[in-house]
Amino acid sequence: MILTIASIALIVAGLVFFLGAAVGLTRFPDFYCRTHAAGKGDTLSSLLVISGFALYQLGEVHDLSHGWPVLLVFLKLLAVIFFISLTSPTSTSTLADAGWEDGIDPTIEPGRENHLQEDCGKRRS
Amino acid sequence: MNAKLSATFAVVFTGAVLLYAVSDFPDFGDPRSPANHGVSGGAPSASVYYIKNAYHDTSVPNLVTAILADYRGYDTLFETVVIFTAGMAIFAILRVLRRDDSGIPAAPDPAIDGDHHRIVVGVTCRIAVPLVQIFALYVVAHGHHSPGGGFQGGVMLGASFILIALSTSLRHALGRLSETSFIRLACLGILIYAGFAFLPLVVGRNFLDYGALRALFGTDGEEMARSHGIFVVEIGIALTVTSVMFAIFANLSSRGRLHGGL
Amino acid sequence: MIVPFDILILIFLVVAAVISLCVKDLLAATMVFGAYGFLICLLWATMGAVDVAFTEATVGAGVSTVLFVATILNTRRKSTD
Repeated sequence: MILTIASIALIVAGLVFFLGAAVGLTRFPDFYCRTHAAGKGDTLSSLLVISGFALYQLGEVHDLSHGWPVLLVFLKLLAVIFFISLTSPTSTSTLADAGWEDGIDPTIEPGRENHLQEDCGKRRS
Repeated sequence: MNAKLSATFAVVFTGAVLLYAVSDFPDFGDPRSPANHGVSGGAPSASVYYIKNAYHDTSVPNLVTAILADYRGYDTLFETVVIFTAGMAIFAILRVLRRDDSGIPAAPDPAIDGDHHRIVVGVTCRIAVPLVQIFALYVVAHGHHSPGGGFQGGVMLGASFILIALSTSLRHALGRLSETSFIRLACLGILIYAGFAFLPLVVGRNFLDYGALRALFGTDGEEMARSHGIFVVEIGIALTVTSVMFAIFANLSSRGRLHGGL
Repeated sequence: MIVPFDILILIFLVVAAVISLCVKDLLAATMVFGAYGFLICLLWATMGAVDVAFTEATVGAGVSTVLFVATILNTRRKSTD
């Protein structure tokens, strides 16, 4: 029962973060902000939703002698969580870097031009 | 413009004819359709035979694997040969065998020296590649019980080598799976499949009839021998598909010179 | 087979196919074609053909996209028609 409620809470939290990621993807001003919103929101919400599924599966296990197929599903979901937490931030980082090498300029806040010019001059060759 | 109009007309006409033909199809999953039930008054259809007897004949729970590698063994054998032929065609068209230094970049390979995002991608791929390869081997070996088999597992294994090539450099990936070894592995896969299919001829049974190899596998019944035979065949498929996938990528990304890469 | 889900997938399938034909930038067309592969994979999975879905996901969406990108980076990126 507690596990079911916890899983519902995790899934709903994940859906809220998905909504945030979608809103950020459409509303943010430039490429890097949008990448940030999509990458962070997507990773966190996928992790939350899948861990909600995993907790729900764990609630189905009553005794270990008969419930091991369900426990196996739980372990597979944990493996999926590990893989998403590994690959999703990497793909976001690679996407942002590809945009940088392609020459997409970030939107510069007034008063911060000097800092960003220094950073850009240092990194882009 | 005129060509575009006539092309649009041809596509729309073909689509309309296809959609009209769909209305004559039996419903999805209709048990009384000819494919599932057989023609009335004729022999029962093959699918009824497969569904009723596949587990009894081969003791493989996954019906698709049993049909693909046992009942339709010829089909799968020549599918594997088609993939092998595709790899050989890519080799024949793209591979540049003469030595010319014009294609070699003068600067040192930018993929090797440590740019920071290359480090992120490299570390992630170093963790991910063994996981992908283990999962690919699981898919090959577990094709009897779950979706999967030689084709899928082979593609995933080839994709893991492609991932090595993308995250570091093509030269590094070729160090893991060199050109001679992937060509040898592609030939070996076909040889395993076809040679294993010839073995039942020795004891006077049909080509691809793995049930005759009971004594070779040391199993009690012919069903388990067929099950093991399917496994050996899947390994052959996986070897060919792995090496052909990596061969196609290596030749395409380096214009057939096998250095530099993307 | 869930009918509303199927209709949704089929609509997206047609949209992805038309976009991948119309786009001038071949790299974008390749990405849309990868999405098309995943949608077809979903369609096979809802029909219960999990083996075919698996093959489509690995070959159609995974490796063929990489092969297309490798070819495009070695040729021209813009389509002429």
